[in-house]
Amino acid sequence: MKAIQVMKNIKAMGKLEYFLAALIVITLFNTFLGEQFSSTTVVCILIALTVTYKGFVVIDHFMELKHANKNLRFLMKCYFVIFPSLIIVSAFY
Amino acid sequence: MIKTPPLNKSLGIFPKSWSEKNAGRIPGNIPIWVGILSELTEFALFFVAYFVAKFYYPDIFSQGPQNLHTSLGVANTVVLLTSSYFMAKAMSFIRINDKIKCERYLWLAFSCGCIYLIIKTWEFHWNTLQGFSANTNEFFTVYYYMTFNHFIHVGWASCAILWVIFRLRSGAYSAQENSGLEALAVYWHMIDLMWILIFPLVYVLR
Repeated sequence: MKAIQVMKNIKAMGKLEYFLAALIVITLFNTFLGEQFSSTTVVCILIALTVTYKGFVVIDHFMELKHANKNLRFLMKCYFVIFPSLIIVSAFY
Repeated sequence: MIKTPPLNKSLGIFPKSWSEKNAGRIPGNIPIWVGILSELTEFALFFVAYFVAKFYYPDIFSQGPQNLHTSLGVANTVVLLTSSYFMAKAMSFIRINDKIKCERYLWLAFSCGCIYLIIKTWEFHWNTLQGFSANTNEFFTVYYYMTFNHFIHVGWASCAILWVIFRLRSGAYSAQENSGLEALAVYWHMIDLMWILIFPLVYVLR
């Protein structure tokens, strides 16, 4: 399992490259939302969801917690659920 | 050829269900995770301060991001995401004992750290030229509090990359033993994660 994971990561266009591309595209999309629209509830929800997704990708695939300690993974993922949720809550201020 | 690293020795103070045997391997080592969880708590306090301040001063926090140089914030986000990618690649190559490529990717990650610091310094300078400082209003106080703290973290983690490169050249890391390198990698990813949260709060949400 570990060996397969390593081989996938060292390929010239492996999953890490796709995740990096996805993270950059999401960042640009978030910026576009922020620049073009005022922070309505829908925009805040979209931004919060994309932040959660970005966090989960880094935690699972860059930090490699997907197949590691489940308690640490749970704590890290909680962090990226709680604070993006506060972004949604702040839309109702 | 690729061996699973040995399990960390537990301090023996946690329930059995938390042990590496039951919960899974701890990347890096236990001390770095104590550090990471402490840093996450520190940043959590900053984020709570941001949301409390935004609750009391919604207009100032709505105007604040419009005064910032958004392009520099985006550039720094891309740089940090890319640095995380380089760090993950460095880890992949040490696991197959390819130390040359591992070192190459560590230098790339270090370069990204330096680029981030240069861009951030330029951004702080640009803010000053526009007449903004930590005392301008509540938004800028929170902005400087969070981003300068993050800046310091990137600075010392970049120095840590240099140390790890030195250790790698000294033959300290291999496919079998790379916990020190992995500890730096997870710390670096934590810094990237914090920026993923800071970026929308101070640059995007209006």
